[in-house]
Amino acid sequence: MAGPHRNLVRGYADELRLFGTPLSRAGLVALVAVFLLLPTVLHDDFWLSVLIYVGITAIGAIGLNLLTGYCGQISLGHAFFIGAGAYVAARVGGDTGLPLPLWLLAAALIGAVLGGLIGPFALRLRGHYLAIVTLGLIFIGEHLWRNLTPVTGGNSGTSVRAEPAIGPLDFGDLTLFGESYSRNQGWFWLVWGLVALVALLAKNLVRTRPGRALQAVRDRDQAAEVIGVRAGRYKIGAFMLSSAIASAAGALFGSYQQFVSPDEWNLLLSIQYIAIVIVGGLGTVFGSVLGAIFVGALPAIIDRYSEVIPGVRTSVGGEGFISVFALNQALFGVLIVLFLVLEPRGLAGIWLRTKAYFKAWPFSY
Amino acid sequence: MVRTKRWTAVSALAATALLVAACGGAGDDGGSGGGQAGEPATTAGFDGTTIKLGVLSPLSGPVAVIGQPLTSGNKVWFDHINSQGGIAGKYRVELVQEDTQYKPDVTVQQYNKVKGDVVAFTQILGTAPTLAVLPLLQSDEMIAAPASLDAFWVREPNLLPIGAPYQIQSINAMDHYLSEGGGTTDSTICTMIQDDVYGEAGQEGIDFAAKEYGFEVANTQRFKVGTENYAGQIGALAGAGCEMVFLTATPTDAGKIWGTAAQAKFTPKWYAQSPSFVSALAKSAVAPYMRQYVTIAAEGTEWGDESVPGMKDMIDRVEQYAPNQEPDYYFAFGYNQARAMTALLEKAVELGDLSHAGLLRASEELGTVSFDGLTGDYTYGPADTRNPPRSTTLFSVDPSKPFGLATLKYDFTSEAAKKFEFQKADA
Amino acid sequence: MTTFLQNCFAGLSLGSTYALVALGFVVIYKSTGVINFAQGGLLALGAYLGYTFSNNLAVAFAVAVLLCCLSAALVGATFERIVLRRMVGQPPFAVIMITIGLLFVLEPLITAVWGFEHKQVDNPWNIRTVEAFGLVFGVRDLWTIGLTAAVVLAFFLFFRFTSLGLAMRVTAFDPEAALAQGISARKVYATSWAIAAALAALAGILMAAGPGGLTPSIGFIALAAFPAMILGGMDSPAGAVLGGLIIGLAEAITRGYQDRLFSWAGDNVSVIVPYLLMIVILLIRPYGLLGTKEVRRI
Repeated sequence: MAGPHRNLVRGYADELRLFGTPLSRAGLVALVAVFLLLPTVLHDDFWLSVLIYVGITAIGAIGLNLLTGYCGQISLGHAFFIGAGAYVAARVGGDTGLPLPLWLLAAALIGAVLGGLIGPFALRLRGHYLAIVTLGLIFIGEHLWRNLTPVTGGNSGTSVRAEPAIGPLDFGDLTLFGESYSRNQGWFWLVWGLVALVALLAKNLVRTRPGRALQAVRDRDQAAEVIGVRAGRYKIGAFMLSSAIASAAGALFGSYQQFVSPDEWNLLLSIQYIAIVIVGGLGTVFGSVLGAIFVGALPAIIDRYSEVIPGVRTSVGGEGFISVFALNQALFGVLIVLFLVLEPRGLAGIWLRTKAYFKAWPFSY
Repeated sequence: MVRTKRWTAVSALAATALLVAACGGAGDDGGSGGGQAGEPATTAGFDGTTIKLGVLSPLSGPVAVIGQPLTSGNKVWFDHINSQGGIAGKYRVELVQEDTQYKPDVTVQQYNKVKGDVVAFTQILGTAPTLAVLPLLQSDEMIAAPASLDAFWVREPNLLPIGAPYQIQSINAMDHYLSEGGGTTDSTICTMIQDDVYGEAGQEGIDFAAKEYGFEVANTQRFKVGTENYAGQIGALAGAGCEMVFLTATPTDAGKIWGTAAQAKFTPKWYAQSPSFVSALAKSAVAPYMRQYVTIAAEGTEWGDESVPGMKDMIDRVEQYAPNQEPDYYFAFGYNQARAMTALLEKAVELGDLSHAGLLRASEELGTVSFDGLTGDYTYGPADTRNPPRSTTLFSVDPSKPFGLATLKYDFTSEAAKKFEFQKADA
Repeated sequence: MTTFLQNCFAGLSLGSTYALVALGFVVIYKSTGVINFAQGGLLALGAYLGYTFSNNLAVAFAVAVLLCCLSAALVGATFERIVLRRMVGQPPFAVIMITIGLLFVLEPLITAVWGFEHKQVDNPWNIRTVEAFGLVFGVRDLWTIGLTAAVVLAFFLFFRFTSLGLAMRVTAFDPEAALAQGISARKVYATSWAIAAALAALAGILMAAGPGGLTPSIGFIALAAFPAMILGGMDSPAGAVLGGLIIGLAEAITRGYQDRLFSWAGDNVSVIVPYLLMIVILLIRPYGLLGTKEVRRI
């Protein structure tokens, strides 16, 4: 009984399937299994906390990729929205004790409103000009964070007591089937569950009409207008959506770290997000997650195994000529350069090429 | 066909869920058994012979200039202790150093990395990183020594601070200006502070002193770290006719500020918080100006002053264990910090329990720890009754001294400083 | 009035530093279409090289300045030759990211070689001053303004009257037409990187010669020069100089009148003035004061 080949595409709907092939379905099951099992196997709080930060970053990076990768608008102001979200979590979640979905939603809402404020600039400015204006956002934001003391705690920062709880289900102190789980285990499930949710939402968005409109705007906004896409509206929409997601990520960041200070939302953070979407691959949701893992976990791995790398100084007064972090940063820089010289489409590009290779197997070239 | 596939997937998921439950969580690991008096039982960070202590410090990045000497200070003290046989004469100390880059999120990660391998943290550098780790310290019953002179550390049971907080330094500096520095409560007194927590701590001390002594701060200039040109601030201070300016800054900014002031011929009496100074400034072109107009408020004595026993010992040990160490204020801070931690460890060994909870208990029973004149004696005990030192040493700038500072007034305590009350962080 | 003039002088000196850095941005952007995020790193590298020449090798300060500019130029050109040349034709995103990568490499390298400690560069200016018209002028500030003016003049002469300058202008205008005329795009790209790096190094050593001395965070000033570049128009060298001076003046004057006029907006308003100014001007003129309006085709 010869059924149709697994790669057969019979229509546009088939092209759009998320998990169309048996292989990708198997991959999905494997991912879910890893998601559920990893925290129980990996008890180490270091790796769990690294992965939690990576997950939070991945959410923010998906937001940025929607804006930069799909709509073609560069933003250096992502850190501003992350910070705003953290403060919303502190005030809405912490002070009033609302449950997780509500403070997360409040953060997203306020993020969207703030993102909407960029609208006029997005309509008027293009390319690099827009990028540098959003850079101004970081500095103006820092001024606000330092001076709006009732909201942000001013220079000394504020503790964030937003509880990661939905009713009786408290991810900070999880008890399931009579087993109790540590804070980091609970947070892992919460954060990566949300990564999956946001990734799914983003993926669904980009394969619908608005998603195609975004990409048309990215490719050439005037041409898009000619074929009936209202470029201005979509640009503002992309900004609002991206900053809403960033704020939600910021709220999670604040709630997990339990303390935030105005020094954290700096240009470096924004640059890190840009690095993630570029290294991961512009215009791919999956790439944002891969990029976040790469950028977040690589330094941790180097740090963990720095003792065995020759020439690295792991302690003050120790042997070696370069400190772990210095090596880390230099290596990170070199990797970015190598990466982009050799594979400008990012990690997702490598992934797609590998996939294409096996898809056509045994006639690959 | 499709249906069966879907069912396979669902049952696979169900199976994984069961597995999760079976594998179990890590929530209740149970505390380590604390032994009664006698040999402390092995526990996290203590294998029966070696005690491991964590260090969370910016060993790279802009703040590494503080983190490196501080950590070196920790190390020299423990090298010395180890050469004497170790804590209580038998337990060697090993430092586990992690680089935080001065970032709160990295600090949290590094804390999680080493918390299971250490008995306590003998250094966490930075206000924001310490505040980020504080909730974790509380839930893990961990003790840590913060490497900053913030006032809100005093009342935190999980922290083991040393030294007189910044507020005390500025109150004492003010007292000196009013009593011996030629100032009166009618003088035009101004402040110039860095726009962050550290700057605000200094300002809080000045505001407290203003209430106590009955003067008014005529003008306050705030600046952002790394500002390139200070002509505006200096112009404003000069315009306000300031006769005395209290400065909280870090060396790069302080150098530019004094340089600008010297160029503008603005010559008030400057009092500066200890972190504003670094020995390189005493060799710079601004040195003659600083020599004439600047007083530094810090602790202890000048580097190499053999009349203070603690300093003599420290110099000897630096020569032995870190001969390349330049004279450095932060080095001495790290050295003293390690000393406080040693006192705590000895107490814990005496009580026979080196577990995290055991150390927390020991910290409540720890009495007054003396630092042989390097910094004021600190009365520990339950956090509510702790009494930090309230003494300050004032220095004048003198390029001929090893660290560029000469003692102006050694180790004094003003009445106002005694009255200052410490509170928890409101956060 | 004296205070106002004194603040203006401070602003001019600050603005000259911004102008040097912004000019570096523009040179690279104009010829290659890339924002060079590594400019701050090159600035720090130049300053540290200057320190080594002036203090360790004890050459005269003027020679040290010249040498540090030349060696930074060499680094810039080498980087272009080894890495960026492979990126010709790639999306600008990727190339920008590579300059960020370079920044990440430069920073730890600098601290690995020179350490984190505070350094003082031996120089003849220090905090010496000249007094005239009832005002006090810092010698270093005067030199900063003078050298910037000289460099800007040389820059315009170079572009106006040399064949390489002409080649650079042509390449910036239309790379393909330039190639067709036998102009070597490689040479043009390498030259623009060398010029930008040398400008950054000059700004760096001028800053390090001040009373603040030299620390690895000296490169942060490049961030404040972004608004200067945008304000003037990204592809306009004259705009970069104008933008730098405007931003420097605005910052210094806001700073000087913070207490009297701006206390309602919080402390330290001057820090964000460059960005606010930039935003306002861009809303009126989306391509900066002197930038070329992009021609949009479908």
